[in-house]
Formats: sequence, C-alpha cells, structure tokens
Amino acid sequence: MNIRPAKVDDLLGMQACNLQNLPENYTLRYYLYHAMTWPSLSYVAEDHQGRIVGYILAKMEEERDEKQPIHGHVTSISVLRSYRRLGLAKKLMVQSQEAMANIYRAQFVSLHVRKSNRAALGLYKDTLGFTVKSIEKGYYADGEDAYAMELSLQQ
Amino acid sequence: MAPSKRALPSKEATLFRELLSLYETRQLKKGVKTADQILKKVPEHGETLCMKGLCLAQSGKREEGIELVKKGMRFDLTSHICWHVFGLIQKDEKNYEEALKSYTQALRFDKENINILRDSAQLQTQLRIYDGLVETRHTLLRLRPSLRQHWIALAVAHHLNGNLTSAKKVLEHYEYSLKNIPDYDVEHSETLLYHVRILEDLGEYAAGLSLLDVNSKSRAIVDRTAIMEFRARFLSKLRDADASNAWRALIDHNSDRYEYYRGYLATKDVDLDNLSNESRCQALAILQEFTSQLPKAVTPRRMALSFASDEQFSDLIQQYLRSGLTKGIPSLFADVKGLYTEPQKYKAIQAAAETILQENTPLEGQYSRGEPTTYLWTLCFLAQHYSYVPRAPPLQPFLSPDFERALALLSTAIAHTPTLPELYTLRARVLKRAGDLVGAASAMNEARLLDGQDRFLNTKCAKYHLRAGMVDEAIQFFGMFTKKDAANPGADLEEMQSTLYLIEAGDAEYRLGKLHLALKRYMAVDKVFHEMEDDQYDFHGYSLRKFNLNIYLNLLSWEDRLRSHPAYVTAALQASRIFVKVHDDPSLITAASSSVRLSDAEKKARKKAKKAASKAHDDKKPAAASAADDTVEATAGKDDDPDGVKLLGAADGLDRAAKLLQPLESLASDNIDAWLVIYDVAVRRKKYLQAIKALKHAKSLDGEHAELHTRLVDFKKRVSAFPQAPPPPIGPLVVASLSTLLPEEVSLETYNSLYLQRHSKCAAVVLAAARVSHSLGAPVDEVDATVFTTLADDAQLDILTASKILDLLKAVKSSRVEEYRLACLSHFPLSTVFMTQSEMSERQKQSHVEAEKLEVAP
Repeated sequence: MNIRPAKVDDLLGMQACNLQNLPENYTLRYYLYHAMTWPSLSYVAEDHQGRIVGYILAKMEEERDEKQPIHGHVTSISVLRSYRRLGLAKKLMVQSQEAMANIYRAQFVSLHVRKSNRAALGLYKDTLGFTVKSIEKGYYADGEDAYAMELSLQQ
Repeated sequence: MAPSKRALPSKEATLFRELLSLYETRQLKKGVKTADQILKKVPEHGETLCMKGLCLAQSGKREEGIELVKKGMRFDLTSHICWHVFGLIQKDEKNYEEALKSYTQALRFDKENINILRDSAQLQTQLRIYDGLVETRHTLLRLRPSLRQHWIALAVAHHLNGNLTSAKKVLEHYEYSLKNIPDYDVEHSETLLYHVRILEDLGEYAAGLSLLDVNSKSRAIVDRTAIMEFRARFLSKLRDADASNAWRALIDHNSDRYEYYRGYLATKDVDLDNLSNESRCQALAILQEFTSQLPKAVTPRRMALSFASDEQFSDLIQQYLRSGLTKGIPSLFADVKGLYTEPQKYKAIQAAAETILQENTPLEGQYSRGEPTTYLWTLCFLAQHYSYVPRAPPLQPFLSPDFERALALLSTAIAHTPTLPELYTLRARVLKRAGDLVGAASAMNEARLLDGQDRFLNTKCAKYHLRAGMVDEAIQFFGMFTKKDAANPGADLEEMQSTLYLIEAGDAEYRLGKLHLALKRYMAVDKVFHEMEDDQYDFHGYSLRKFNLNIYLNLLSWEDRLRSHPAYVTAALQASRIFVKVHDDPSLITAASSSVRLSDAEKKARKKAKKAASKAHDDKKPAAASAADDTVEATAGKDDDPDGVKLLGAADGLDRAAKLLQPLESLASDNIDAWLVIYDVAVRRKKYLQAIKALKHAKSLDGEHAELHTRLVDFKKRVSAFPQAPPPPIGPLVVASLSTLLPEEVSLETYNSLYLQRHSKCAAVVLAAARVSHSLGAPVDEVDATVFTTLADDAQLDILTASKILDLLKAVKSSRVEEYRLACLSHFPLSTVFMTQSEMSERQKQSHVEAEKLEVAP
C-alpha cells in the first residue's frame, strides 16, 4: 500500500472511489478546485497495481469569520470496504493534517458527518480523535442533520 | 458603418458606460433595461445591441440574445466591443476556435485592451497554441509590468512552449524585483517551488538545491514535504553523501511510500529495476532493517516479498500471511496476488496458507484450538487462491482455477460465520469467474442485505446484476443511494460522471442486443470526458491568480492525456463497433425503433392502468398536484432521444466513430483493439491509407492476433473487389502495402488454413479462422467442423470465446447450434452464459424468490 500526496492523475480514481463508497458525490470540477487551490492537502492510498483504494479530499476553510482561528476542513475521506483494517484512513488523515498545520498554520481541522452514519462517526471519534462540536440542522441536501466535528492540531 | 455613427449623445454615452459596468458586476437584468433606454434613442447602435444580447444570452434567453448580438454585429463590424461580445458568446458555447478568431478581430480594433488580451491568452492555452500564448503574455507584461501575475504568466507560457530557459530567466527577473514579501506567504512559496521544479527539469541540480536550501532556511518555502522530496532527489542526482539521510528522513515522515524506499536503496547502489544477485541480497538486508525499525510500516515487508526467493521467501510469506490473517485484512489476497509470477512462489503461498488453516481449524469438541477469526480469514484467502485465474505465462499452463474447491471453502466459512458480508462478496466473485452470473448476482445481494447502509456493497450488487443482464433490478439497487430528486437513478449517476455505471450499463445493454441503449450510455461517457476537458478552462486564469503553478502545469499535461483513460477507450471502441454494425446492417435501426415503440406502448398502457386505478381510488386529487406531475414530465422530456434510437440511426455514424477514435491513435497506440476498430471504421469510410496504417500498427503489436487475421483477409477481399483501382497516389500505395501485410502468391483459403494450423489449440484463433472460411464461401459443415475442435480436451476454451462461437454458429444457420450449446453447458458446469432465454429467466426467478426470502427473514 502506498500513501502519497494526490496528483492530478489521481482525481478520477478518487472520484470513482467516492462514488462507489459514499452517498455524497461531486463532479470532477470540485476535485479539481481542491487540487488547484490547496495542492498539498489531499492524499491517496493506492494498491500494488496503482489503483486508488482510499483518499482524503481536504481544504482550508474559506468562509470563516475573523475571530475564528485558521483551520482546515475535510471535504471527504473514504477507503474502499475491501481495503479496511489496514489503518489507511488514519494514515491519510495524519498526512493531510500535518500539511494543513505546516503550510497554512491550521490550528484545528473540521468535518461534517451525517447523523445517521454510525460507522463513519465511530471512525472519526474513536480512530481519528475528533469530537462533536455542534449539530447543523438540515446540512445535507436531503434535509438530514450533520454533526460538526473538530480535532485540534496543537500538540 | 462609419465610426461616427458609433458615437452616442452624451446622455446615452453615460448610460452605455453604466451598461458596461452593470455587465461586469453581473447585474444582467438592469443591463437589459439600460440598453433599452439607449436603444429608444439610437435603435441601430451596434455596441448597445450586442451588449443587450450578451446580457440576455447569459441570463437564460440564449437564442434571443444571440439574435440581437448578430444584429448588432451587422451595424458595427469594426467595433472591438461587438467582436468581444461575439467571442464571449462563442466561448460560452465551448466553441473555442471561433471565439479566438473573434478576439483576434477585436484586438485589430483595440490592440492594447487588457481584458481581451487576457481572454485570448486563456483561449490560446485551451487550444494549446503556445507560441501565440507567449506573444500575448509578452504584450500583457509590457502593458502592465507592475502586476506580479503577468510575470508568472509569461514564465508559464514559455514553459508550455517548451522553452524552460526563458521561463527560468523571467522568474529570476521577477524574484529579483520583488520587495516586501510577507512572512509565510503561501503564494510566494509556490512560486519558488515552481522555480525549483524548472531547475530540476533543466537538470541544474546544484542550482536547484541551493535555491531550495536558501529559501527553506529563510522560511520562504513553507511546504515541508515538497522541500524534503526535492532535496532528496537533488542530492541523489548529485551523488551527494547526504542523499541517504534525506531519503531516510522522508521514510520517517511517511513510512508507507514506495518511492522513498526506492530512493534510499538507490543511494546504496541498489537499482530495483535491475537487480544482481548481490544487490538483491543487499536490498533484502536493508528492507529487513527497516522492518525491525518501523514495526507499523507494511511497505518494507511487502517490498521484501518481491525480491526474496526460495527459503527466504517461504519464511517471509509465512510471517506476512500470518500477521495479515490474524488481523483479518480483507485485501490480503489482492495484495499478494502480484507475487504469482512464478510457480515456486505460488506453491509457497499455498503451503503457508494451508499450514495456517490447519493450525486454526477447530476440532470436534476442542474449542480452544486456534483463533476463530484467523480460521475464517484463512478460508477466505484460500478460496481466492484456488479460484485465481492466471492471466499470463508461466503460471497459465501450470495451473487452472478450481472453482468447486473455492466454493466449498466458502461454504465452510459461511456456515461458521453467516453474517460476514465479505464471505458473500467472495462467493459472488468465484461464481462470476465460473460463469454463473445469476448466482453471483444473488450472492452479492446477500452480502448487501447484511449491511444495507454500505454503498460499496450496494454498488457491487448493482454491478453484478448488470453483468447478469438484469438491468431493471440493477437500476433499482443503484437507486437506493442516488439522489431522490433525480429523474431516475441512471440520470444521477450520469450527472455525477460515474463511468463505472455508464460502461457497465452500456455493456449490459450491448449483450442484450439493445444497441440503441448501449450506444446512448457509451456516448454519455464521451460527454463526461468533454465536460472534463472544459473543466480546465477556468483554471487558466484562476491558477495564475493563486500562483499554484506546479499543479496547474500538471493539470494541462493530464488533460492532454485524459482520453487515454480506460473508461474512454472502452466507450469509444464499443460505440464505434456499434456504428460499424449499424452501417453493415441498417435493419438494426428499424429493429431498435420498433422495440422502443413496443416498450413505450407497454409503459403507456401500464401508466393508463395506474392512473385509472388512482382515479378510482381518489377522485378529489387537487388540481395543483396533477399540474405538477405534468411539469415534471415536461422537464424530463428535455432529451429528445432518451433511448438512443436517433443516435443509432444517425446518418453520419461512421464519421462520429472516427471522431471518437481519433484521440486513441496517439493515446492508446499500444492497444491492438483500438487499431482494429480504427481499421473497421476507416475502411468503411474509404480512408484506405488510414486503414493500412491501422493494420500495420496492429501487426507490429501482435502479428498473430486472431482479430487481426480476420481484418487482413477482409482488407485483401475489399481491395480485390474494387471495380477499379483508386487513382494515384493512393491506388499504388494500397497495392504496395497490401503485399507487406499478406503474402501475395498464396490464396486466402490457404493463408487461412496455414494460420489455423499454427495455433490450432487456441479457441480465439479457431473462431477467427472459421469466420474467415465462412466469409470465403466455405460450406456450413466445414465451419461446424472447425469450431467443434474447440471442445477437444487439450483445446484452451474460455467462456467468452465459446459464447462468440455459439453466436457464429447461429449466424451461419448451422444445424449443430444446440449440440454446441449443450457441450458448453457440460464444459462449464457452473456457467449460466449458455442457458436459453427460458432457462435463464427460470434461474432469475429462482434467485428473486431467494432474495425475497432473505428480505423477509428477520
């Protein structure tokens, strides 16, 4: 398994991985926007044959009010079901967080998760160390609420 | 029109300036109103008409707007505003070439207009007109040298134009003139990293290293990973003693990246692509060291497996499998499958896994022995191992998959733990490989039912149903995760650019003989790739403003290679094959349209019945609701060819195919299938030189390829059937090339039987030879006799080729179709591919019943 910064050549593989795995999907344009704006924050996991089996798509928060400290945001993270138990999500997250802190001096990282998605919630909480900060009512297009979660990057 | 007529009275001139700024700020409705005020007084003012047209066109009234723009143009052909507007309209329609022409016109009348120059530069980039781009960027820099962006843009233009030295000079000049750079400036950091990259590309490693070191010490470059990676590469190139430390630091930073280990080993004179016995030992020793120093890293362990052999391999694989099976890693087999390159390794893996299985197999009444989960995952591993289908020598003749054994192992596992979805996905995969597509689909559905929230299982389940030809069921499964407000699940997946769905659905329709629907899906893939090409446009401006230059340049080179993506290649080839089929047999078009009419009639009847039922049920349905229903239908009807029947019957089908295939000539030049389809299309379009080029290229890739054989004969037949030779220079060229492709003195019949003799055990060759002899007029019983040799014990027959042979027998109206089909049924006992329609629907019904039972079960 290979963990490395995402290249432009990886974006279609990330998109395919996302479509296969998660209900929140995006057209390539959105992946391009991430890569072209924050080229060092997204990472991929690839298998021996060079297939993308996991990814983290990340950015810096743009719409933050002045009082809030600089922080990163995970737009999407996922690992194909058939590549679980290798600790890939954690490895991807750690690399991306380090880049957020190092390049943009991010103080914390945030993400959203569907209230009903217990599997993902467990991953963020128990494996990755995030905590729930608030609930955002009707965050998703279908009206479902989201947990807004955060993880401090200051050791 | 004379410029004097362009001048507006002072009140209107003010209004016109207002109109321009309203457009700039996207207040399009106000813009239209302001334009109307001017036009009241000066109705034939070209620039105002154009601006009004632009505002209308961009606020949704496209046609009306374009009409106005054209009218405005007629009144004032020498206005840069009119030409600029016209260019914008063409750009919006993605007609980049024409847009650039309009901009060039506009620049004739206003040479130094910054906006027009900037837009032109973006179009030149999109169209890859790099020498023109350099010129435009030069002009922009000359006009506004104070803008940082203009310097960077010129450097990038030189770079794209292949002139790295000029790019470097511009950057040096730019950096020299910079003052007051704030601390921690990410943009500046990215610019410097771009400069470093140029030095690397130029081979100026020492200069690159010093630029990097100076600016990382001063914290001007902030991206630590990038610094470390550049540094390690530079030091390696310079053969600096510090290089191994640099790679070592990267390994500590991220111990799961092959490249870093590769780089480290190279500093120890170990070239992994070119190992001697000595360096192999050294590589293993180093990797062993990393393994003990970095207990969490999997990469050095896995890498060692690729280089070890004999006893050492046996030891390492034992450890590797044991650790993976104890942890229950589902991808373990996929991970080690790459090692199945030689029989010894294959055997060692099997022995290791069997040992682990034995150690963990629970004995009757003795529950303490072994770990139950290790036992389970080892069963899984072995099931995958025994059903492995080797794709290439040396393993191919050495072993053949044992599906029965794999299924037995999985049954044991399922009896042990019936709730683990992975067991069913594996079962599905084994069944699929054995040809039982229906059984595979229902096994995948069992997996899905065990975790309904998991989209991965859902996607697999839908895909397997497509493979089994159960399209409606597949769409229903997909629909469990697609957007509820989409017209249908397929529409959402198409909008989300799921090429997996489009290709699988296209293939499924193709196999079902619904060529119109298949073509529709494949062409949707082409549309997705068009969108992705257009996506880059906005970044020509955006990336320069953001100073993210390295990734931007990578974007451009990626876009240039975009259509080499397997999804595009598959879609382009399949769509072209359909266009060729329809060209050869136009009756397919009428067949398709009548089948659509039929199913439409069915749908209507069903709808009518439903409506009647609901009316009877509730007569007081509010009027608003039914009105809403109508609008939904009206918007869904946007596509005037939802079933692809018009597409299938397009008069210019072959030209469309040629357009689809065009990018493949350079982007898939090592793909023989591509050249064969390029030939098929070219020869029917009477582009004989292109046809010859394709055949020659295919021949250089694999001269004995079965499909090439049929094409070579086809070409010779076509040429000999010419009523008269094409005029020079083409005619003589065709004749001359033909003699290099096929022997002149041998008859086609002899040529064909010689080919068959050379590879008589290969089913694909037998099929090709049978096709050719039929096309040369051989009697049907001769064709029969040829293809029946594929059933011999020592013949290599696979399911796909067998089903193609069956198709050929049907096509030539052989009397032995049923005999061959029954032979295939016993040859591939698990396969559903050879079942008749009724046997198949019986099987599908059966699996429905099973699925329903599962749904009902608590």
